[in-house]
Amino acid sequence: MDSLHLGSYTFSSRLILGTGKFSSSSVMLEAIKASGTGLVTVALRRFNREQPEDDLFTPLSAIPGITLMPNTSGASTAAEAVQAARISRELSGSPFIKVEIHPNPQHLMPDPIETYEASKILAKEGFLVMPYIPADPVLAKRLEEAGCASVMPLGSAIGSGQGLATAEMLRIIIRESNIPVIVDAGLRSPSEAALAMEMGCGAVLVNSAVAVAGDPPAMAEAFAEAVAAGRKAFRAGIMQKSGMAVATSPLTAFLGPAS
Amino acid sequence: MNALLPEWLNPGPDEASFREMLAPDSRWTLELLAAQSRAITLRRFGRTMTLYAPLYLSNHCSSGCAYCGFASDRTTPRRRLEQEEIRKELAAMKRLGISDVLLLTGERTKAADFDYLRTSVATAAADMQRVTVEAFPMSVAEYRELAEAGCTGITIYQETYDRARYAELHRWGPKKDFLERLDTPSRALEGGIKTAGLGVLLGLADPQEDALMLYRHLRHLGKTYWRAGLSLSFPRIRPQTGSYQPPFTISDHLLARMIFAFRIALPDVELVLSTRESPAFRDGMAGLGITRMSIASRTTVGGYSDTESGDRGQFDIFDDRSAEAFCKALREKNIEPVFKNWEHAYNGPSSAEKS
Repeated sequence: MDSLHLGSYTFSSRLILGTGKFSSSSVMLEAIKASGTGLVTVALRRFNREQPEDDLFTPLSAIPGITLMPNTSGASTAAEAVQAARISRELSGSPFIKVEIHPNPQHLMPDPIETYEASKILAKEGFLVMPYIPADPVLAKRLEEAGCASVMPLGSAIGSGQGLATAEMLRIIIRESNIPVIVDAGLRSPSEAALAMEMGCGAVLVNSAVAVAGDPPAMAEAFAEAVAAGRKAFRAGIMQKSGMAVATSPLTAFLGPAS
Repeated sequence: MNALLPEWLNPGPDEASFREMLAPDSRWTLELLAAQSRAITLRRFGRTMTLYAPLYLSNHCSSGCAYCGFASDRTTPRRRLEQEEIRKELAAMKRLGISDVLLLTGERTKAADFDYLRTSVATAAADMQRVTVEAFPMSVAEYRELAEAGCTGITIYQETYDRARYAELHRWGPKKDFLERLDTPSRALEGGIKTAGLGVLLGLADPQEDALMLYRHLRHLGKTYWRAGLSLSFPRIRPQTGSYQPPFTISDHLLARMIFAFRIALPDVELVLSTRESPAFRDGMAGLGITRMSIASRTTVGGYSDTESGDRGQFDIFDDRSAEAFCKALREKNIEPVFKNWEHAYNGPSSAEKS
C-alpha cells in the first residue's frame, strides 16, 4: 500500500484540503467528503466555541476518519504561532500543527526566520510540525534537522492560482528531502496537482482552487483523481524527455573505434 | 500649499492605469471593472465576508468639523460610557454574534482622553476576539500602549487630501492640523498597531483626486511598514445632526467604480463598507470587491443596550437590517458571513527586528 506517513499517522489519500474561503460549512463538508482526504487544515482563528454557526472546528471534527491539522494563520511572529499551536492542541487534541507565519497580511508570504524558530520549539514539544515555507532548499533541510514531520513549500503565492512557479526549487527540495514534501498554495487546476505529484511530492494541499470553483465537491474529486494519477505515474517511472542534441561531427572520433 | 506635502503624495510611475480606471469615461466600462474585481476578490478572499460592529464610547469632541454630528458646537447631548456600561454594550453585541468590535470616540477631550481609551480597549479585549479603534491621533508611545492593551488596528480618515478644503472644513480643534493627521497612520504602525485603515469622507472634495491620494498613501505605508495590514473604507456623507450639504455628489456608479479600481490596483487590501450604505448597494457589492462589512450598527453612545433611545447618532444608518437578516442575504449570495477571524494569541504589538 502506497501511503503517506506523517509521524505515526498513515494516510491513503495524498490530497490535503484547506477549509477557508468556502461559501458555507455545508459546501466545505461536501467537498471534503468528495475528495476522500484524511487530513484537513483549519485555522485556529476560525474556531468559535461561542457561536456554533460561525465555527469550523466542530463540524470538521464530526466527520469520521478525518484528522485535523490546525494552522496558525494570522500569526506574524514565532511567539504568536507557538502560543496558537498550544491552544490548538488543547482545543482539538490533534498533534499536527501547520506552522503558518505571514507577517505581511497583504501578500501572505511565509516568514522563513520566524517559521524556523517556531518549528524548532514545537517539534521539541512533541508536535507533528508541518511548516508552510518559501520554496527554499536550505530552509527545508534546516527544518528537517529541527524535527519537522514534513515541509510545505509554496508552489506560488496563496490564492494566486499561479501553479508551480517555484518548480526548479521544488525539484531540489524533493531530491534532497528525507521527509515528505507537500506543495502548499498556488495550485489552480488538477493538472498542476498531478504535475507536483509526478515530480515526487509526498502530497499536495489545496484550498482556494476547490473553495472558489463553480462546483467545489466535483472539483475536490477531480483533484483527488489527479493526485492519485500523478503519484501512480511517479511510482511507475516516467520516461525521459527526448531532444538531447547529438553533434553532427562526432566529438569523440579521436578515440578511434571501440575495441 | 501643496509644496509642503510629503514627497510620497506626488504622482508616482505606477498609477497610470489606476487613474484611468477611476475616470467614468475611460475604456474601462463599469461592467469590465466589476468582472475583473470580482475575479480578484474571489481568488484572494474566497466566498467569505468578515463582519464587525462599531461601538461609540463617547461623543465628547474638541474639534469643529463642519460635516460632523458630534462637532463641539452641536447641541447634541454629550456622554461617555463607563467601563461597566461598556461591558453591558459588549454583552449586547455578543448576543448578536459580534466578536470583532471597532471602538470610537471624538477628538481628544478631558472626558475621553488616552487613559480612558486605553482602559476601554482592555475592557473590550477581555470580551471580544478583535478590537480596533477609531479615535483621535496619538503619539507612537501611546499607540504602543494601546497595542499592548489589545488594540490590533486603527482607523483614521484623512477626510480629504485637498488641503484648502480641509482647512475650510476643520474649523477648530486638534483636527485642524492637516499634516499631523496625515502622519497618524505612520505613528500607529511605528507603535506596533498591526493594521491601519484609511479613508476619505466622500462628498467633501473631488473624489477622483482624493482616491489617487489614498492610493499613494496606502502604497507609501505598505512600503514603509512592510508588516502592516492595510484597509480602506468608502464612507459617503450621510444626513446627520448639523445638516451639512456636501459640495460633491457621489453616485452609486462612481462609488462602485472606485471600489473596483482599488480592488484591481491593490488586490490584497481589505476593502470595507459600513451600514451607511443601502441594503441593495451592500448586497450588490458583496463578492465584487468588498471583503469586510459592519453589521447591526448603532451610532449612538449606548445604542446596543438601549435600543429605544431617540438620540441621533454621528450619522444616520441606511442598512438597519438585523445581523440575522443581513447574514441571510449574504448566504443567499453564496457568501459565508465570518464573525470570528482572529485569535487573542495574535494580539500585542507587531514586532520589528530587535537588535
